Amino acid sequence: MPLGEMGAFLLFLAVIFVFGNLWFHFVETILRWIKKLFMGHKNPPMWHRFPVYKDEND
Amino acid sequence: MGIFSKLFKGPEIDMEKSNANAKKMRVLFNHVVTDGDNYRLIFGYTEDVSRFNYGFVHGSKTKIGNLIVGWNEASKTIVVVPTVPDLSGCGDPTYYRRSEILKAYRNKYPTDAFIIYPDRKGYIGINAYDWLEDEKLYVYVSQDDELAAFTDFFMNTFATK
Repeated sequence: MPLGEMGAFLLFLAVIFVFGNLWFHFVETILRWIKKLFMGHKNPPMWHRFPVYKDEND
Repeated sequence: MGIFSKLFKGPEIDMEKSNANAKKMRVLFNHVVTDGDNYRLIFGYTEDVSRFNYGFVHGSKTKIGNLIVGWNEASKTIVVVPTVPDLSGCGDPTYYRRSEILKAYRNKYPTDAFIIYPDRKGYIGINAYDWLEDEKLYVYVSQDDELAAFTDFFMNTFATK
């Protein structure tokens, strides 16, 4: 296979890969929006931050 | 020889970092669990694998949930606290008392996990290893002895079959 054809084929694969990734993230975003729309009223789970204890000398 | 021995040695555990994280796990656990010091701790995680098919793009997604797992041999209780790899915070604890759960067993396939069914509606699968290198996904902690102790407790005291 000539070098030019190989390069074109690799470029074609790269385009498919990039488009597939973009498509995946696009659908994921749409689904997230839909989920948010229907489950927007649900309270988020309680989260506790790492406790910071103040030094008595401060 | 020195270079080759270093090359084939494999990854080494940073015990300073591991010990610091073990202490942070204890602080977080005690912060949300009453009498937290009565529990021994290990780090575990859950895996949520889902398949997707978005037309010409399909595959599977894996979500990892980090957990601080505490157990008390006397009360036969396991407490699970959700957290994040950098241990900057944690969620509310969930208690699994042996007298209240539906069943518990150790699964070998597809992954080695400790399975607890609190009722018929759902279950939790806790994966635990002696050390996991990927700090972005898991809490960096070395826990050979604790894992052995937890496995022993789960298999001989907590498991229902």
